[in-house]
This record gives sequence, C-alpha cells and structure tokens, in this order.
Amino acid sequence: MTPILFVPFLLLIAACTVLVGTDRSQYTRAKLAAYPIGAAFVGAGATLYLVATGGPIAVQFYDLSSVVTFAIPIGFYVDRLSAVMMTLITGVSVIIYNYSIVYMYQDRHARRYLAMICLTDLVLICMVSSANLMMLFLFWQILSYLLYVLAHNHAHAGTLAGAFKTFTLLRVADTAFLAGIALAYQLYGTLDFQELFARAAEKPIALSLWPGMEISAATAVTLLFFFGAMGKSAQFPIHLWLPGSLFAPTPVHALLHAGIINAGGFLINRLAPLFGLSSTALHVAFVIGTLTAILGASMMLAQNDIKKTLGFSTIGQMGYMIMECGLGAFALAVFHLIAHGLFKATVFLNCGNVIHKARQDPHSPYVDHQTEEPSLSPLTWFTGFVTTLFIPLLILLVTHGVLRIPLLESQGTVIFLFFIWITSSQAILTLTRLRAVASWKVSAAMLMTLLFIVFVYLFAVVSFTAFLYPDPEEVASYFQAAALPNWLFDVMIVMATLLTISGWTYLYRRARGRTMWMPAWIEGVRIRLYVLFMNRLYADEIYQQLGKSLMEVLHRFDKSAQGWSR
Amino acid sequence: MIDATTAPLLLAGVPLLGAAFSFVVWNKPDHLRGWSIIVCLIGLVAAAGLSEYLAAPPEGLLLVYLLLVAACASLLGQPVHRTHRPSWLLTLIFLGLGLSILTSQNQLSQIALLLLLSLTAVLLYRHHTQLWPISWWGIGAYGLAALCVVNSIVAGPPLSSITSLLACMILLPLVPFHEGYITVLTRLPGNLPSFIVLLFPAIGLHGLASVVPTVPDVVAWAVNLFALAGTLYGAGKALAQSRARLLLSFGSLSLYSMLWWFVVATRATTPRAAVFVGAVGLATSGLFLAWQVIRTRYGDDVDPQSISGLAATMPRYAVLLSLLALAAMGLPPFGLFAGFMGLLLPSAVTFSLSLLIMVTAWLAASWYIMGMVQQWLFGAKRPDLRYTDLLHSELAALMILVGVLLALGVMPATFFGPDGTATATSAITESFVWKN
Repeated sequence: MTPILFVPFLLLIAACTVLVGTDRSQYTRAKLAAYPIGAAFVGAGATLYLVATGGPIAVQFYDLSSVVTFAIPIGFYVDRLSAVMMTLITGVSVIIYNYSIVYMYQDRHARRYLAMICLTDLVLICMVSSANLMMLFLFWQILSYLLYVLAHNHAHAGTLAGAFKTFTLLRVADTAFLAGIALAYQLYGTLDFQELFARAAEKPIALSLWPGMEISAATAVTLLFFFGAMGKSAQFPIHLWLPGSLFAPTPVHALLHAGIINAGGFLINRLAPLFGLSSTALHVAFVIGTLTAILGASMMLAQNDIKKTLGFSTIGQMGYMIMECGLGAFALAVFHLIAHGLFKATVFLNCGNVIHKARQDPHSPYVDHQTEEPSLSPLTWFTGFVTTLFIPLLILLVTHGVLRIPLLESQGTVIFLFFIWITSSQAILTLTRLRAVASWKVSAAMLMTLLFIVFVYLFAVVSFTAFLYPDPEEVASYFQAAALPNWLFDVMIVMATLLTISGWTYLYRRARGRTMWMPAWIEGVRIRLYVLFMNRLYADEIYQQLGKSLMEVLHRFDKSAQGWSR
Repeated sequence: MIDATTAPLLLAGVPLLGAAFSFVVWNKPDHLRGWSIIVCLIGLVAAAGLSEYLAAPPEGLLLVYLLLVAACASLLGQPVHRTHRPSWLLTLIFLGLGLSILTSQNQLSQIALLLLLSLTAVLLYRHHTQLWPISWWGIGAYGLAALCVVNSIVAGPPLSSITSLLACMILLPLVPFHEGYITVLTRLPGNLPSFIVLLFPAIGLHGLASVVPTVPDVVAWAVNLFALAGTLYGAGKALAQSRARLLLSFGSLSLYSMLWWFVVATRATTPRAAVFVGAVGLATSGLFLAWQVIRTRYGDDVDPQSISGLAATMPRYAVLLSLLALAAMGLPPFGLFAGFMGLLLPSAVTFSLSLLIMVTAWLAASWYIMGMVQQWLFGAKRPDLRYTDLLHSELAALMILVGVLLALGVMPATFFGPDGTATATSAITESFVWKN
C-alpha cells in the first residue's frame, strides 16, 4: 500500500480515537490522537519524496471509462502539487491539533471539536489528492459544511448568523463549480484530470451564447470553476463569509487561514492546463484578484479588531494569490499560499495571547517610539532608499541592458521582478523604523531583508517552479496565455512605480517635518474612504438588504398565490 | 407455482392481509404498531425473495424496496397512541396498493391506482375542515387523476397517453397540478404524509416510464416549461414558508420538478431517476418524522419559529436531523447528491439556461432547509421547553432513513439496475450551441 492511503486513514483513526470512548478518558485519547496526525505528516513527507523522485502516483477504485457509474468515484492522484499541499496541511494540522488540546481543555464540546478538526484535515487531504473532478467536488462540498459546523458556539447569535452566511455564500460558489463540472463533462466526456486536459487541448470547441456571440469552451468551463474557487478563497464580492466566521475558536482560524482558504488557489493550480487554454479566464482572475487584494488590504488597515484585521489581511493575501494565478505565475501562487499559510497560522495561534494580555494589562499592546523625536536619520533613509528603490531599478537595468534578458517581451520575468520589489519594500518598511536613530544595524537589517527576499524569490522562481511544473514550455505557455496587452501592462507597471515613488516622497517629506499640499477634496475623499473601509464597504448591509428584499418579494408572491395555490 | 403474474399478488397481499389482520390487535395500539412494522419487514423479505419473479420496470425495482423501508420507518417514528391507529392501518393499505401498482401488469395496476386515488380523495374529504378550504383543491386533483386513469383504460392513444401523463403530473407533483400533493402532505394525519411523500412520486415515476416516450413533442415542450416553472415556484414558495410541513412539501415539489425536466428532456426513466425519487422521498420523509418528534413533545400546533437550542439538549436528535438535512440539501455522500449527479452527468440534455435553473433550485434547497434546521437546533436554549431526546423507536426510524440515504449515495449506480445512459458520453467535437 502506498503512503498516500495511509495519510487519510491515519487522520480517520485520529478522529475515531477522539470520538469513541468514555468521558473520563477523553483527554488521554485527545493526546493519543496527536500521534496518528503526526504519522500522517510523516506519511505526507514520504509521499512528497516518492512523488518527487518517482513521478505521480495514481490509485483508482473505479472504472476509468465511466466515472459516473460509481456514485462517488473514489481515486487518488498525487503529483508534486498534491504532495506539497498534503505536507502543508498535515504539518499545520500537527501544530494546530496540539495547540487545540490545551486550548479546548475541559471545554464541554472539546470531543466534537477535536474530532471535527481531524475530519476537516481528512477531507482536505482527500480533496487535494482527488483523481477526478467529481471526487474533488464531493470533498469540496463537505468542506463547505464542515466550515459551517466548526463555528463553535451555536448559542451565540453572531456566530449563528456568520455560520449561516458562510454556508450560503460557499454554496453559491459550489453551484457554479457544479455547473462547470456538468459543462466540462458534456463537452469533453470525462472528469478525469489528465484526460480532461488532453481532450480540452486536443480540439478547441466554440460555444455560441447568442447568435454572433461565441465563447471558447475552455473559457466557459474555467470561468465557472473560477467562480467556485472565488468562494473558498474569499474573493470579492463573495468574501463576506470570512469576516463573518470570526467568532469561531482561534485554532479553527489558524486551520482556515492556513489550509482551507487555499482551496481556491489549489483548484486553479490543479486545473492550470485548462486555465492555460483561456486568456479570458486568466484575465478575469487577475482583475478579481487585484480588486480583492486592494480592497482586502484597505479594509484591513481600517479595522480595530485583531481578528478582523487578520481576516481582512487574509482576504488581501488571497487576492494577491489569485492575481498571481491570473498572471500565469501558478507556482508562485502556491509558494505564496504556503508562506502565507504558515505565517497566518502562527499569527492566529498567537493572537489569543495578545488579546489575553491586553485584557489583563491596560497598557498592552505597548505603543513604543512615543518618546522618539520624529527626526530624520540620513543613514537609514539612505539605506532604505537604496534597498527599495535604487537596487531594484539597478537589477532591472542590469537584466535588461547587460544580461540582455528581453524584459519587454517577457511579462513573466517582469512579474517576478516586480513581486520581489513589492515584497522587499513592504518587508523593509514594516520591519525597520525609518525614524530611528542612525544605526548600522538597521541598515544591515534592510540589506539582509532585501537579500533574503531576493533569494527566496529566486528559489520560488527557479527551483519551486521547476519542481511543480518541470516542463519550462508549460510554464512559458501559461505566461503567454496570461499576457496582458503590452500597453496595459506598461501602464500598470508605470503606475505602480509612480505610486511607490510618491509614497516614498510623502514619507520623506513628513519625516523632515514638511507638509505636502493636498486639495481639500482629496482630504475629504480620504476620510470618506476611511469610513467606508472601516465599515467594510457596507457589504454586509447590502447583502442583508438584498436578502430582505428577496424575502419580501417571495412573501408577497406567497400571499398573492394563496388563492390559486397554497 | 410462483410466476410473473402471481409474484406481484403475493407481494401486495402481504401488507393487505396484514391490514386485514390488524383488527385482531386493534384495541392495543402498541401491539398494532408492532404488528404493522412486522408486516412491513415481512414485505421486505418477500420483495427480496420474489425479486427474480417480478418484471423489472425501466426504473428498476429499487422503489419497491424503498417503499417498504419508508413505510417501516414512518410507523416507527410515530408515537403510540389510540388516535394514530387509522393512519397505521391506512399505511398498510396504501403500501399494498402501491406495491401492486409498481409490480403488477397493466390492468391490475390501474385498478389498484384507481383505488388508491379514490381512497386518498375520500381521506381528504374526511379530514376537511372549514379552516382549510384548500382541501377541495386536493380532492379535486385526486378526483381528476382517478378520471384520467379511467380514461386511459377506456380511450385509445394519443388521448390515453395524455390523460396518463396528467395522472402522473398529479402523483409525481408538477405545477400547476401539485395541489393534491401539497394538500395530502399538509392535511393527512399521523405518519401518512411521511409515507406518501415517497409513495405517490414513486407511482408517478413508474407511470411515466410507459407514457413519456409516447408523448407528443408539443406536450413534452409544455411539460418542460411546467417543470422549469415548478422548480422555481417550489423553491420560492419553500423559502417563504414558516410552517415545517409546507416548507418540506414545496421543497420536495421543487426537487421533483427537477426530475420532470430531466425525464422529459431525455424521454426516459432510468434507475438513476428512481435513485433521485427515492432519495428526495426518504429525505423529506425523514424531515417529516423529525418534525413529528417536535410535535410529539410540544403539541400539534407548535410554532416552528419558537423552537431553538435543541442541539445542546437533544444531541442524538440534532445529529440525525443534521444528517437528514444534509441529504435533503443534496450534499454528499447521500443519495440525493448521487441521484442528481446521476441525472445531470450522463444525460443527453445540453447545457442550457434551463440547466442553470435546475442548479439554482438545488442551491435554494440549501437555503431553506438550512434555515429551518438552524432555527430548531441552534440558538438560545429555552428554559420553558421540556427537552427529551429521541426515544428508541424514533431513533431507529431516523437511523434507518439516514442509513438508506447513505447507501443510495455510495453504492455504484449499476447496483440499482442496468442503465443505457451509463456509458461515458462521447466528447462533443463540433461547435456547441447554448440553448437559450
């Protein structure tokens, strides 16, 4: 038996260990269940090794020629993408489960909760290792329900409303996914991944939506799948379930933000060969991702609640990830989701301590630098300028002028360079204090940060991409499919660069004690935007109003129809 | 000797004889219910034993077994009380007639159907009150269905096929002939609604098997339109209901309308359609029983909106109700999901706006059923309510239904009978037209 089957089996054993037994032995069993979860992690690691060295592993329990004769076509297909996801999920699960044992100690519902965590892991593992779309969809739906159930305190009105919202919004996306499956099966006659990709690439089909209006089959199918992915990955405008579910216990959030929410990114990556056939779908993904990234990050900045801040941060990051997919950088998106998952799980598991400390100590969290003079430190400013503006531009010139890499023809390379620049700037500006006194340590930290990020990205670009997508032509074809019109791409790059430089200038002038003249209307817009983002664009209220209006119409219809029909 | 003619008689005879002998224990309600359940179990064994002698209809024999299971579960889920005796007796009679319709040859089947429809109309008349004038619609609907059956016996085609279709529309509910179905589920007493919710649609599907291929195109087009309208109408009405029985009735109407659309589009009934009907029927039956559990504890006129917090105090009930709700919403791994996917994927229907309507109705089921279940199970625990978890018989009834729904969901489709459409559809290689 391959280790693939061991991994879900061990998680099932863990769930059963927690669930079955007397109340007296509950804590012991909970601790005992950590071992199978740990073993599942080891199994996932072994699977990753096997897949990396020996190629994909397939285990099928159904007749390939007809997926639908078996109600649930159970089968596993583990390639490098699946193996990486399995390792991530089980790794995070080990930490979260062990944390939860202590966190839920003596809670009345600890047994149900811990078993649910194990079952969610099991469902996630089965989902990422599915051999066909049907099985993936099956576990995808179960996950929607588990997310609803995991919102723990059902006696609390806010939790209930959030859980219901989570379930209904995820079901909306699930419906699109289902429609995509129906269309894909009708067009290509298979739901098996490899066959589906081969048939879709073999012969392009045109769908006539309207006389004179045609759409490629790959576009129609991928758009429906993308809508499905939008739900799980909390993309605008169906992101509302994520902040709505924030009443759930903290470890659930760690699991949600480190594993479950990555399902959308995983789905797009799993179907990358299909998405690669449709530029339109990739462009839509890019637009939605960008919008979500901007709105998510903006809303995050205006929140005053630690969990909500983290929730919107995740929405922004998911937007960023989907944007990467939309740009054809599929491997980068996976790398991003792993990095984000680990980071966010850590932050969520720690945020309880911060809240606890803040409740006990009114001065916590400490706001330092209050006594600092807002003076300018030329050394740190110079280093910051060099690391975040000068070096990136130098790299750009060197790659273009000296190394003769045709950047203008290769959007993919520019995208990677651009991401390096954005990430390093963000990291440097977040980790270091520009107002601090001149210090070689701060300057060295900036340089080290830049170097670290450059090397991490180099690893992501070269090694990780080659690991996930070993065929360079395939990678190039994705970039080609995702390529934006040159003028648009140039405009976006120039706009982003100008924005970054303006930001720097603004910061610099403020640090020097100078003010920047702003028209009054801009200040007014800024305040209005702040209120808007603080209230999360009033999206909850809009959805509520929509639901209310729909119910009013239905009730009116119900009353009017009573004469003819009850 | 047992053959294809005597086997259906034997099978239908078990519950009918059981009904006749039930008068022996009439004065002891607990014995009467036990006897009725034993009769259903004997029927189940008889069905398994006689299966090789029964002529398999196009939709297979699955519904025969499911009817027996549904009857057994609906009897188990009913509390023992003198007032429920008539409904137990009627369950056995309805079961006998139903088995006769599903397994017998033409004439006997139609006589049994006529009897069933007449009995239903009489029952509705018997339970009619001035407060529910809508009962007349139900009586009228089943009277019309009985006339249609008579007409289909005496008239020739195409009139006979159209009247048969009309009878099917009343049994397997389709807008605008759904009034009978809604009235039966909301007005009949005891466990009858939880059994009829499967019985009538099963008979309707069985009737459709012979009618659908002969229906003229224009009629099929009209039925298609009714099915689409019914799907949305049922879902919309279910969303607007606060009463559990009405919500469940309209919800199942929406789901059965979906089946109509598939059957008319493919012009065939298959074992997959039987899985779908069986799953919708059993899931709704289970939810009816779950509602009955609440009525048993808090009275017949209890307002569903006033019930909350059962999850904390009635954990066994909460788990089973949640599983039934999952099944009724069409979530895996239950039969409704398998049945729906079984209809959706291998069928020859083209991807169209109609299909999107079907999928939307499937989504709506999540909304109204989840809303109802959430209301009952979660929220604040009310100190004025007396909480008693499931009794053994109630637990057994719900567990049987959940188990069967699970089995329907995970078993290979070929298990329920050969299906011509099961072979993998060939990929479409030419230009594909979206049917608006």
